[in-house]
Amino acid sequence: MAIFSRIGGVARRDLLRAGFGSVILGATGLGRSPFFSQAAAAPAAKPGRILVVVELSGGNDGLNTVVPYGDDAYYRARPRIGIKPDKLRKLDDHFAFQNTMAGMERLYKDGHLAIVHGVGYDQPSFSHFASMAYWQTAAPNRGELYGWVGRMADAMDPEGHNNYVVNIDTQQSLAVRSRGHVPLVFDDPAKFVRSGFADESSPLKLLAARGRGANEAQEFMYGVSRSALQAEQLVRDAWAQYRTPVDYGLVRFGLERVAALIAADFPTKIYYVAYRNNAFDTHVYQGDVHARLWTYTSDHIAAFMKDVARLGRADDVVLMAFSEFGRRVQENTSQGTDHGTAGPAFVIGAPVKGGQYGKVPSLTELRQGNLVYTTDFRRIYATAINRWMGYEDPASILKGEFDPLPIV
Amino acid sequence: MDSHSDLKNVSLVHGFRNVLRSPSGPAAWADDLTPITVSDWSYDFAAQLIERAGFGGTPEEIARLAAMTPERAVAHLVDYGSVPNDHLEPFDASGVWDPGLRDFPPSRVAATRRAERTGEALGVRVKPEGERRLQPVVDRFFYWLRATLLETRRLANWWADRMVATAHPLEEKMALFWHGHFATGEEKVRDYRKMEQQLALLHARATGNFRDLLIEVARGPAMLVYLDAAENVKGAPNENFAREVMELFTMGVGNYSEQDIREAARAFTGWIDDDLASKVDPAKHDDAPKTFLGRTGNFDGVDILRIILEQKATAEFISAKLYRYFVREDISPAMQARLGAVLRDNDYEIAPLLHTMFLSRDFYSEPSFGTRIKGPVELVVSTYRKLGAKRLAGIPDLYVVSRELGQVLLNPPTVAGWAQGRAWITPGLLLARGNFARDVLFPDILNFTDPNFNPGAEIKRVNDRILAGMDIREATVERGPGGGGGMEGGDMTMANVIASAEDFNTRYGSLVGFQEAVRKIKPIPRAAAQFDLSLAVVSSGAKTAADAVDHLSMRLLRVPVDAEVRAALIAFLEKQLGTGDLDRAASYSERPLRLTAHLIMSTPEFQLC
Repeated sequence: MAIFSRIGGVARRDLLRAGFGSVILGATGLGRSPFFSQAAAAPAAKPGRILVVVELSGGNDGLNTVVPYGDDAYYRARPRIGIKPDKLRKLDDHFAFQNTMAGMERLYKDGHLAIVHGVGYDQPSFSHFASMAYWQTAAPNRGELYGWVGRMADAMDPEGHNNYVVNIDTQQSLAVRSRGHVPLVFDDPAKFVRSGFADESSPLKLLAARGRGANEAQEFMYGVSRSALQAEQLVRDAWAQYRTPVDYGLVRFGLERVAALIAADFPTKIYYVAYRNNAFDTHVYQGDVHARLWTYTSDHIAAFMKDVARLGRADDVVLMAFSEFGRRVQENTSQGTDHGTAGPAFVIGAPVKGGQYGKVPSLTELRQGNLVYTTDFRRIYATAINRWMGYEDPASILKGEFDPLPIV
Repeated sequence: MDSHSDLKNVSLVHGFRNVLRSPSGPAAWADDLTPITVSDWSYDFAAQLIERAGFGGTPEEIARLAAMTPERAVAHLVDYGSVPNDHLEPFDASGVWDPGLRDFPPSRVAATRRAERTGEALGVRVKPEGERRLQPVVDRFFYWLRATLLETRRLANWWADRMVATAHPLEEKMALFWHGHFATGEEKVRDYRKMEQQLALLHARATGNFRDLLIEVARGPAMLVYLDAAENVKGAPNENFAREVMELFTMGVGNYSEQDIREAARAFTGWIDDDLASKVDPAKHDDAPKTFLGRTGNFDGVDILRIILEQKATAEFISAKLYRYFVREDISPAMQARLGAVLRDNDYEIAPLLHTMFLSRDFYSEPSFGTRIKGPVELVVSTYRKLGAKRLAGIPDLYVVSRELGQVLLNPPTVAGWAQGRAWITPGLLLARGNFARDVLFPDILNFTDPNFNPGAEIKRVNDRILAGMDIREATVERGPGGGGGMEGGDMTMANVIASAEDFNTRYGSLVGFQEAVRKIKPIPRAAAQFDLSLAVVSSGAKTAADAVDHLSMRLLRVPVDAEVRAALIAFLEKQLGTGDLDRAASYSERPLRLTAHLIMSTPEFQLC
């Protein structure tokens, strides 16, 4: 069995600190703006705590994930794709996970997994892009330039420290777009490196670390360039030295990379990871596809929680998983489901009080064939911001009052 | 030829202008659609035009445009029909399709169910008895998945090569725009032929009439499959297609209601792909009256599209999107209204709108200069074109590069296409762009392996075990990288439980299918890019290392680097040459110049145009 080697070395630790200590957009400083000087006075977040957000893109079919097998209406609406009771992992006498979710069932039974029922928002959009943007900005039916994670980082860390937010993806998510932070975005850590010949190394550094641009586009490019210069070494080293005995499943959509950074003591407070490419958009013949998606997702998340515990950080990490909407209650004629509204969200981790939260939406009292949401998704965000990360004024980030749930 | 002396003049003029004034027009020109005049026209303006309306060019190409009037230069790019382009080759298909693959099932499960029910699927019969009776069907299923995937990569390679080689760069730039607009991906369509057909349409109608393009794309088999139109039937409408048509292809959100979507979906019922044709199935079409955008009638799908095209919002949405693609991110509401009017007044002909944009003062104003972040495909194509290469290289591999940079042709991430602008750049992607430049300038041929022959670690492991004599069941069990420690159920993740059924084995099927596909697919030529920087630099009249750096900067950048970086580049090149005298170093200057070009192409400035 491979052995995890804790990364040592004074030089490395110094590098990490130096990376964190520097501020990317220092010149454009948030500290001077009125909004942020107020925010700066707010109490600091709980040190050491980490939030991991997992986005399941495409609109997960919540009813075939947390299956209400105790409700006949479920089988009436889904005569062909409804999952029979003998093919389920029962959580209680009403709800069950679908059969492929062994890992998440274990987490639930250990009391480390909270299901929040009926999560959605008012006047729901059935468009992937619009609804995902609403979730990412926490601003349904409104335009908003920055993401909720980006705004959270700006509020909690007005100085804009490097690597405060990490986004595992090929492209920066709207959720992490921020005024005062340049999130560290990467996909393949091994490729997060500038290759150059030995002779080129000093000019390459010089041209990457630049001053002010002549316009916004240049300014942005220079900011990204400086961020890349500082971060590449750190990420690459963290990944190269990361060893784990844990099996992360067949689709490793990013949590293993999060674990590697946590193992390397990255200063990151918020990680944003997506199961990408609209994977959960199951319009046709969804049974096998959806089962497979949850095999991968459940295997991967359970592995991550196990790995975090192995690293001794179980008490510091909370993961939340969501999808931009649920799907319609009634199955369609192609043995799939069309875009719907509310769905379950998950909050997972050792600090979590496991169980079920939120009112269960009715399967019969529908609005145009869709579930009526019972819990605004921003309550989960408020839970993460306030009760987990310890920031006292979630309303300033979420632009409205949302009661946190007593999950953590 | 006289192109060298042209170029010398251009260099001098260029240097002279740099001293006298900034390369762009004044900031006050922003939002001004007044056409520029001959006296405004310059090398820098011509460079801006070819950069945006094409993929940039060599100094020689820019000089040729600069020698025309602005109207002639714009017409040369927009009305490209008369420009000879016969050297382009058509796509050379491998011939991997056969009629048994018609109506390919949506999933492996559907394929094996069909086989269980009828004794045959995908043109392959079930074994009468014995072990794994359905295996041939599963093999066949995976064969086509792999074959159409690889053939689509070849098609993308052909297209990118065409972008590099074409004399009609705007045709390609518009085809790329439409591909992102009517985003359709092979991963879902699973038939390269339908993708090829759609691509031909995007080329043919690149600068033509948007109405014709919209209707033909909407009725094309690729789009019908991609948006599940075939599942949209009378009595049980599937709204995917109707929604995306309005949200993404025409009006944008906020101009219609959910009710309009439901009604439109009814009008599209019965539209179905019929291999490479499409038809309306009368039995599945809902021909009762519908009320759509305030009008009631017995509308069919084309009626719906025509009503959508009558909306002011549609013309404004399309022209604003074109503006963001060609000019800059921020468009004022007034500009959006004026451009929308141009498109509508020209009955949705795209070319007149492009003429207006490319001739406008706005297009050459300061906020439009050097502020556009190149998309990955543009970066790749313009890199080759600016270096003077006539063909796309086979090393580095286009698919690998474009996947790393975030834009795989013929496989957009979602139906929304690719997010433009800042979304193209992250710290990691900036590094990847520099690495691409190095791979072009210094292709690592010794370490190159064809990515199309790489089936992934899982299938490779199965292959190795089969070759070592293991039986199929034993060879196809997957263990975690750490050798255990999985989920509930011993050492297997749930994925293993699903992989091996009684009548067939999916992992073995993946292996067999992959092998058959790579046996039939024609290879992608693996040559390095051909260009000669020494010749280019010497031909420009450069005498010193400083001249060479200035020439390379002018050739590659639209946003100049600052004095400190310029000085560092000159010092670097002098050190590499062992002298500041280019003549003295002429016999060995190629590698030092390529190193210098790599540095220039690693700058943040190189990402902008």
